[in-house]
Amino acid sequence: MIKKLSVFVYWAIIVILLGLFFTNDFGLVDIRKSSIIVAVGIDKEDDEVQVTAQLAVPQPSENGDSVQYTQVQGSGYTIADALNEINAKTGFYPQLLFCKLVLIGEECKEEELFKLLSCFYRRNFSELTALVAMCQGKASDMLALSSSINSETTESIKQVLSDELKKSANVSSVNLKEIAQSNFSVSKVCYMPYIEANKPGTSAPGGGDSVGGEQGGSSGGGQGGGQQGSSSGGGQGGQSGQQGGGQGGSSGGSASGQQSGEEMEFTARKTAYFSEGKFKGFLNSEQSFALDVINNDIRLAVLPFVSDGEHYTLGLKNTKGAIKLKVKDGVPELTFTFKAKAQIQGVKKSVTPENSSNDDVVPSQVLKSAEEEMQKRFADLLKVSAESNCDILKVRELLHKYNHKYYDAFSEDILSRVKVNYKIDIRSVN
Amino acid sequence: MKMCTRQICFILAVYTAVTKVILYPTLLALQSGRDLLFSALIDFLVVGVIVWAVSFLCSKTDKTLFKLIEDNVGNICARIVYGVFAAFFMLATIVPLFEQKSYTHAIFYDTVQSLIVFIPFFFFAIYASSKGFKNIGRCADICLPLFIVSMLFIFIMSVGEIKPNSFLPMLKTPLDKVFFGSLSTLHCFVEPCWLLMFMGHFKYKKGDSAKITLSYAAGAAVTLFTLFVFYGIYGDTAMSRHFAISKISLFFPAIEMLGRMDLLALYILEAVMLFALVLNVQLAVHCIEKCTGYDNSAVLSLAVNGVLLALLVVFESKFHSILDVYRQWMWIVFAVFAIVMPVLVWLFPRRKKR
Repeated sequence: MIKKLSVFVYWAIIVILLGLFFTNDFGLVDIRKSSIIVAVGIDKEDDEVQVTAQLAVPQPSENGDSVQYTQVQGSGYTIADALNEINAKTGFYPQLLFCKLVLIGEECKEEELFKLLSCFYRRNFSELTALVAMCQGKASDMLALSSSINSETTESIKQVLSDELKKSANVSSVNLKEIAQSNFSVSKVCYMPYIEANKPGTSAPGGGDSVGGEQGGSSGGGQGGGQQGSSSGGGQGGQSGQQGGGQGGSSGGSASGQQSGEEMEFTARKTAYFSEGKFKGFLNSEQSFALDVINNDIRLAVLPFVSDGEHYTLGLKNTKGAIKLKVKDGVPELTFTFKAKAQIQGVKKSVTPENSSNDDVVPSQVLKSAEEEMQKRFADLLKVSAESNCDILKVRELLHKYNHKYYDAFSEDILSRVKVNYKIDIRSVN
Repeated sequence: MKMCTRQICFILAVYTAVTKVILYPTLLALQSGRDLLFSALIDFLVVGVIVWAVSFLCSKTDKTLFKLIEDNVGNICARIVYGVFAAFFMLATIVPLFEQKSYTHAIFYDTVQSLIVFIPFFFFAIYASSKGFKNIGRCADICLPLFIVSMLFIFIMSVGEIKPNSFLPMLKTPLDKVFFGSLSTLHCFVEPCWLLMFMGHFKYKKGDSAKITLSYAAGAAVTLFTLFVFYGIYGDTAMSRHFAISKISLFFPAIEMLGRMDLLALYILEAVMLFALVLNVQLAVHCIEKCTGYDNSAVLSLAVNGVLLALLVVFESKFHSILDVYRQWMWIVFAVFAIVMPVLVWLFPRRKKR
């Protein structure tokens, strides 16, 4: 009797489960009838937020191309409103679990960052792994550009934010988790890469990547679009110039590329920084480099500088950069430490077999100049930090974590009163 | 004997950990901030002592808890105590049940979720709860390897992202917050009650109390390491990240290329979580059986699971309110059952084991 009953129960369960399955109560989705948001661009339009979603639309594989990409725009008072509009257009539940890139248009500078991005931090709406970057001009324009590196713009932008580039101190890539952690720390600061679109073979707009641009501004040898760190460029003198110039040039670059359908190259050598969620300014590529060698695990960095009137490009291996804060006799002391093994990668003079065979042995004068260049970059970064009262180096966090008893006494004005030491040691590979 | 010491050790090592990896880390981070490990440690130390006390009690008597109470205070009293324990085990199931429902919805479904996708759990629960202690022990045997493989997989994917300085400065959170962190999460600690129920259902051998306590310590160590990984990855933003175990492996570099391969481990771990969740229901059914003397466990299992399903349906959208009540007030009930009751059992005169 019990055996017969159990058979009946099991059949009943199977029928119920099949019923649930065929009435779609399991919530199954036909992947071919849906689209997935892989990147979003955020722009400000009056009081509203305009969201441009780059959608991956899975295709039947017989067509050869298994995914097609398309863009859909929505707007509203919040990103969620805009996504709801996008949902209405695409018929897909508006989650951002597959979104891997958040691009913030330059016009959003006036907005409080975490008010703008709050949607991404809501529970289960998105994972915090998406990369975040600010871009010149409008994010929608940037996403609409075609790229010479990759047929897909999103992928192309993700390439310039890649982990490999991060490990060569060429980009300060961050994800949603990192900016939130940084902003909600005691330093209340965060930063993200600033993406520019350049025409291939040029450093326009904004003077991008000309080698040695900072020092001389005219030392040319333009390596436009060089992503492997062959330059430190940023041919704009000074920080304020970059802020203005970047914005001015950006719209033009984006628009012209879009209008002509010309393929563009993307670079992310500058860094936008924020304090308490408010935009404060841009770090140029030298300052970004200094920030990267402190914060990231660098495998190979490239350092261009001038020594004895000659332009050198050194490859730095085994780099270790850090900052430490100690309070000695009531005085906070900030120590920049940087160690690296150097190898000559380029000198602006004609090469002969004799002098290139000794590239592993860097002359002491050149090493000294390299150390001075690094010190200059660190000092420049600290100066920007102190002048804008924006704790980019997270000195307050160091004080809070490692010198907690002095936190209340020093936290207010530590950036201006801190004594700075540099311990920079660059040695020849051999 | 229906169980063996090995199975009890597995239950304490595995179920202790898997019942504390979904919302527990978030709740602790919310209450104690970067000092969450200390809050957890307080609970584990206190409950660890009680686990040792109960397991040591097993060396003094081979009676079940029911028999022990019956012999000392009478059958009626034993039935009442078991009735109260049945209510307690159902109470202890409510939060994990809602937690599990939210977790499966959030992790395994990308689209709009409905309650009905969680209903099949009750088919499993009804079946499992109608079985006895032998079944509980066998489940533990199955769960241990699944647990080890899945946790190892998740930890390997997670450790690279840990920033140990997230915990600095240590012990700067006000002590009252740290202690309340311990109290407000006490509803996750039911292990001594499990052991009380297992009393007399396994044959105690010399050194078993040490084995059982060490197994509990192993479960505690895994939980503490999960907390360390979770807070080490998310830092001050950890309090807003729910379903901790599914969030810690997201930053593994290979996920970018291969997709959410951590879900494989999470699926395996989910099976272990379901066995752990159903343990309280199984014990509730056992207690009602002893309390009423009605030995048709299938009917009782149907009734208990029916009540739980009804609660789930009625309070579906009230999980946060329920959680608030548990965090603010229910620690008193859990302290009574998981700490005071096991100590009280020691007061009963024990006949020496033969």
